[in-house]
Amino acid sequence: MSARPAWLRSGRVVFGLSVVVLISLVALFAPWLAPHDPNEQTLLSTFLPPFWAKGGEAAFPLGTDSLGRCTLSRLIYGARIAMTVAIVASFGAMIIGAVLAHIAGYFGGWIDWLIGRTVDVWMSFPPVILSLILMVGLGTGLRNVILAIVLVDWTRFCRVLRSEVLVVTRRDYVAAARLIGFSHWRTITREILPATTPLLITLVSLEMGIAVIVEAILSFVGMSVGATTPAWGQMIADARQYIYDSPWNLVFPILMIFITVLGFNVLGDGLRRTLDVRLTETQRA
Amino acid sequence: MTLLEAQKLTVSASLDGERVPVLHDLSFSLKAGRVLGLVGESGAGKSMVGRAIAQLLPPGFAATGGALTFGGVDLVTMEPEARRALLGREIAFIPQEPLSALNPVLTIGRQFDEHLARIGVASRERRAAMLAAFDAVHLPRPAELLARYPHQLSGGMCQRVLIAMAFASKPKLVIADEPTTALDVTIQARVVQLIAEMQARDDTAVLFITHDLRLAAQVCHDILVLYAGRAAEYGPARNVFGAPGHPYTRCLQLANPAMRERRGLYALPERMPGLRAYNAMAGCAFAPRCPLAITQCTQAPPPLAEVGPSHVAACIRAARTAEIAPAAEPAVETPAAAPVILEASALTKRFASGGLFRRAEFTAVSNVSFALHENEFVGIVGESGSGKSTLARLIVGLETPSEGRIEIAGRDIDGSAEADDHRRRHVQMVFQDPQSALNPRRRVASIVTQPLEAAGHATWEERLARAGLLLREIGLPGEAATRFPAQLSGGQRQRVNIARALCAVPRILIADEIVSGLDVSVQAQLLKLLAALRRERGFSMLFISHDLSVVRYLCDRVLVMLRGEVVESGLTEQVFAAPAHEYTRTLLAAVPPDDSEISARPRESGDPVLGPGPPLSRG
Repeated sequence: MSARPAWLRSGRVVFGLSVVVLISLVALFAPWLAPHDPNEQTLLSTFLPPFWAKGGEAAFPLGTDSLGRCTLSRLIYGARIAMTVAIVASFGAMIIGAVLAHIAGYFGGWIDWLIGRTVDVWMSFPPVILSLILMVGLGTGLRNVILAIVLVDWTRFCRVLRSEVLVVTRRDYVAAARLIGFSHWRTITREILPATTPLLITLVSLEMGIAVIVEAILSFVGMSVGATTPAWGQMIADARQYIYDSPWNLVFPILMIFITVLGFNVLGDGLRRTLDVRLTETQRA
Repeated sequence: MTLLEAQKLTVSASLDGERVPVLHDLSFSLKAGRVLGLVGESGAGKSMVGRAIAQLLPPGFAATGGALTFGGVDLVTMEPEARRALLGREIAFIPQEPLSALNPVLTIGRQFDEHLARIGVASRERRAAMLAAFDAVHLPRPAELLARYPHQLSGGMCQRVLIAMAFASKPKLVIADEPTTALDVTIQARVVQLIAEMQARDDTAVLFITHDLRLAAQVCHDILVLYAGRAAEYGPARNVFGAPGHPYTRCLQLANPAMRERRGLYALPERMPGLRAYNAMAGCAFAPRCPLAITQCTQAPPPLAEVGPSHVAACIRAARTAEIAPAAEPAVETPAAAPVILEASALTKRFASGGLFRRAEFTAVSNVSFALHENEFVGIVGESGSGKSTLARLIVGLETPSEGRIEIAGRDIDGSAEADDHRRRHVQMVFQDPQSALNPRRRVASIVTQPLEAAGHATWEERLARAGLLLREIGLPGEAATRFPAQLSGGQRQRVNIARALCAVPRILIADEIVSGLDVSVQAQLLKLLAALRRERGFSMLFISHDLSVVRYLCDRVLVMLRGEVVESGLTEQVFAAPAHEYTRTLLAAVPPDDSEISARPRESGDPVLGPGPPLSRG
């Protein structure tokens, strides 16, 4: 028996977690890590390539954009927005989705029907269009980005979790808990929730990756944070106009999004493989 | 001539680089037209023999010594190609779970046709062959059956289809691995009879693997008792069961409740050692559990020694085996005029089925009335689908009755919150499958004291103390308190399951098939535990079971259910001695006779199974 729990022994989890933790630390310590103020314009040195390319300067390790702003600093500060959205939005969506899923799966009957149909209707809207519509209605800003993601993506949690809750609810130990005198609330929190938590964790980590992308899309179309706050989607939008002059400015934010989402997805996949009881049971058999 | 012969067959598993024998120096022989029974508890290596014949050993397992010959050819060293030609043609299998052995998306006809094609029946003869095969296993309307899918048939019918398929190639050897475990008693009797019939028709040799001693006694000519991968006893069935030479055989016999009269049970302590543990033992693997064990037993493994004509046993104390007897159990005096604690009147439960437009109703429990007295055990018997479990769920409150009334300890359960509280204080349920009934994420101490958690105000120290008391009462070691259910054996889990129900000190316990699927020695331990708890605590119980002998042992009165109705009820002794209803008679007739009676029973020559076979000779 190793001291490490099974889920920490998976290479996927270790890799995904390292990426996620690294980016979170970068976001957290952005003011100390960034070589420049992200909005500081050096108009004399615009479109600088990264330091290893010809004409690059060591003061701007990843070059500068059309206004002479340090790309590295903007990427580092952009991580703050990305991680904030990833964490807050996915937890928000998880809480709404999980609560409704547990209610629907546990009680069944008409309430299950009602929640199920609401999810169906909700999911029939294309998610990006729905979030754009919501953004138009709510107005721009970080808080509204998060709200839009929560309102769009809670259905993802609800649908997947509901079927899991349904399976667990049929186990005899849930019936036994009721017969012993557990209230519905206690039965759900003490008997069902511990069984659905692994799935919940997996879904949250996948949702974080999705939230990063949605935030990038929204800031790309200028509906997220204002122009003074650096965000990866915004950086892509800016660099798009000068794609032939300075392709680096496009490559770096895309690479950041790619790595972040990859980290979340590999983490989620690793957690699913190690925490999913059914999967591990069949492997053992 | 000898068809199948094992000589000092050894099958080993490799566990962490270490080779551990799973079957150890096993020798037996099987002739055409004979039935050899392999019996023993789970983990004894019974199924491993069948797997060794098919060379379908699990990964990491391999035959490492001795020989296993079929018609003179060694199966172990045989080319895979040659073995494939043999399997399904010369050697056929009847599986344990008929439903999972058939492909659910193909019709019966299609699957049978494929099988016939494989064994080389010409395509225009196949249909006739299928119909003839179905006819031989007494399947009604065989032509219609061909177009059916497996899920449209009952388990018994599926098993008959599989028997027809197994015998279609006129195999020389049929391996039946627990073929009736998943079936009801009455169907079990028919299936066993059918295998015997087919076996007699084609003079086939059958290897019958079972944990049920009665069934083995009914079907087999010869018996090989396995313990921890070793032969404990081997000989003709009537000698093995009539005068067992190995204490293990005797103990298993005594662990089975008798049908004829109520006697005490002998519960083997503990359980079979794990693979590695018995490999490390110097002496007899059974010695730690053996009531006759002496120091000599633990020093060297006992050799197989003759204890009768062609009857061998691996025990140095074989001569004294007959001395083993269950301790006399104080008879529970049936309360003559105890007050009624639970009364059900005209209980009916209907389930709606079908879609929105074709509403159909299915009556699971229909107009059932009975009374349970204080300190009385009442058994409910019937086949699957008879409404036994629904009745239990109605009484504990997991289902609401469509009609009828339940009265518990003088109070009508009318659906109000107070009435439900009242019911909860008096009635607790023990669920059938501890795997599902115990939350895998809670420790044992937390599970058994869940009622305290429900009541609120109990500190963890209080709960641990209570768990300690409960565990002692149900016979589990104190250190089990901090384990998770997955770390316990099946029997221990069922004890935990019982302990949780007892924690709230209920006056009525509802037990739904709580000893089915367990080994006979574990079953005996649990039955004795329930009887002891009843003497010490005094509670009433509704004991639901499909096993009549268990009900016979434990219950004062019995209700017989058929299609949702109670067709007969009365004192257990009376109902079993003189059943009044036709269905009760069928149920009782389906139970194989007690295994020890087989030597005393004269065998009719017309009896296909028990016909006197040629005398056994061992090579």
